[in-house]
Amino acid sequence: MLVIEDVSKSYGQTPVLDGVNLAVPAGRIMGLIGSNGAGKTTLISIAAGLITADAGTVRVGEGRSASVDVASDRRRAAGLVGLAPQELGVYPMLSVRQNLVTFAELAGMGKRATRERVDAVVDALDLAPQLAQRADTLSGGQARRLHTAMALMHRPAVLFLDEPTVGADVAARGAILDVVKELAREGASVIYTTHYLGEVSDLGADVAILHGGSILLTGSVKEVVDAHAAPSVSVVTAGVPPSLPGWRPSPLEGGHTRWDAPVESRTANPTAVLADALSRLGAGTTLEAVDVTPASLESAFLAVTGQRLSAEEVPDVAHA
Amino acid sequence: MSPTRSIAIARTTARLVIKDPSVTIIMIVMPLIFVGFLKPSLEAQLQQQGYAGVSGAQAGVPGLAVMFAFLSIQTVCMIFFREHFWGTWQRVRAAGATGGELVIGKAGPLVIVILAQMAVVFAASAWLFDYRVTGSMLALGLLLTGIALSVVSMGVLVVALLKTLDQAMVVGNMSGMVMAGFGGALAPTSTLPAWAQSIAQVTPTYWGIEGLREVGLDGAQVADILPALGVMGVFTATCVAIAAMRFQPTDTKVGST
Ligand SMILES: Nc1ncnc2c1ncn2[C@@H]1O[C@H](COP(=O)(O)OP(=O)(O)OP(=O)(O)O)[C@@H](O)[C@H]1O
Ligand SMILES: [Mg+2]
Repeated sequence: MLVIEDVSKSYGQTPVLDGVNLAVPAGRIMGLIGSNGAGKTTLISIAAGLITADAGTVRVGEGRSASVDVASDRRRAAGLVGLAPQELGVYPMLSVRQNLVTFAELAGMGKRATRERVDAVVDALDLAPQLAQRADTLSGGQARRLHTAMALMHRPAVLFLDEPTVGADVAARGAILDVVKELAREGASVIYTTHYLGEVSDLGADVAILHGGSILLTGSVKEVVDAHAAPSVSVVTAGVPPSLPGWRPSPLEGGHTRWDAPVESRTANPTAVLADALSRLGAGTTLEAVDVTPASLESAFLAVTGQRLSAEEVPDVAHA
Repeated sequence: MSPTRSIAIARTTARLVIKDPSVTIIMIVMPLIFVGFLKPSLEAQLQQQGYAGVSGAQAGVPGLAVMFAFLSIQTVCMIFFREHFWGTWQRVRAAGATGGELVIGKAGPLVIVILAQMAVVFAASAWLFDYRVTGSMLALGLLLTGIALSVVSMGVLVVALLKTLDQAMVVGNMSGMVMAGFGGALAPTSTLPAWAQSIAQVTPTYWGIEGLREVGLDGAQVADILPALGVMGVFTATCVAIAAMRFQPTDTKVGST
């Protein structure tokens, strides 16, 4: 269990976090998303006890009585918390095994437990062939997996992964996501930041959107998408322009025109909207392409944070 | 302070030193090379001072061993700063390590490394240049330990005070050189100007080099070097006290400004 209450933090005069509240129950993964500079890393650093908040508290562990304040009880909190920071942090001249052993020793694990855990962790993250290899000779993605593995050695009850899949290939990404899911199944609370929003759905995680210094909303991916995003429909035509009232035309190369369905219609059944448009195409109009983009976490995120993919491509929050 | 965590950090430090022994080897080889080519002229000097038929190494080894020990302040700086470049510093902190545990875990093994470095210089000089200890071996060991503690505590102080590795390397190397100079590593302190001689009185280098010379040439016993150990103890304690006030594990350390 992780409970973040009213956490605020400024760097000098610049406020970064302003009253952040977030709770992650045991066994849940929270996908923490936010633009560059939103304060995700700052929040994680506070929650992992690396920097102190100006105000607010972070508690880890089960229940009020048994839970530990991260800022005041560093020692006990550290035993419960695992952190894989955004910046790579490995000992380049040590082998993969030595890197892992180092963090097991720091957590006070015995020799035997360490050996078993090393085997389990490298198996899960596909690093077994590299065990004896120096970390500075690993490929970027392998180094990233080692970096994540080091945070898992002591089976933390609360795990912070700050963009763990940067630079990982498809298989490595899959391995990292599987390990995270497995830890959650074992009862860990996980905070996972990423700019690849598809990973949040793949993890079956909840979403928390950090924007403007606070958590704008939390919920399951489905809840957030249903509430804040809608599918969009467009067609591309050539020849005589069709009569599509309310649709927005934009000229393309080769005399083609792209027509975007009106924002209001997007909450409706996209198939029906498309069928209606097709029925309006007269003789002399050639249909070149149709495009139905399902509602996504990306579009919900952009809508909630007041950003756009491009002008009017995503419905305004107020309209949605 | 958790001994388990300090020991864990110390183990990692030891692994890092073992993986990259180049600087340590240089700090052993360099003084031996210098002793090798200064030996004849040192022998002449010793003869003038009334030590006839004695190896020049008796005069040269103490100063050069101490000088290169103090140049190893850079090893101390590196072992701290590199953890910052590697991004491992904050990871070790996230694992619960306090400032005190970090300093003990990083600096502790270096006391042994620098002690061993000097011990090898003395042993190799005995073998190569007929260096002989006429006094107490225990006194020699205590002096070398005092010097190693002085070097490491001064290195920790440099790390605590400075933000970039560039600054730390310059300040560390310069002050190591200057202290070695005052201490008589370059020319006997008795030949330095009076003001330099009075400054020398408060340096661990002067007392260390003098003590080592006496152990080598004058048959000094533990009782004879107690003042030297006292000065080194005070120097070490002062460095540690200031470092303890100024050292912030949350400080970010970088390569250059
Ligand atoms: N030590 C610092 N001193 C001053 N400003 C800082 C410091 N650390 C972070 N900031 C600022 O705080 C803001 C939040 O940074 P943070 O690293 O938490 O963002 P983030 O959400 O993790 O971004 P990204 O997605 O790019 O990783 C940024 O504007 C950053 O410039
Ligand atoms: Mg970040």
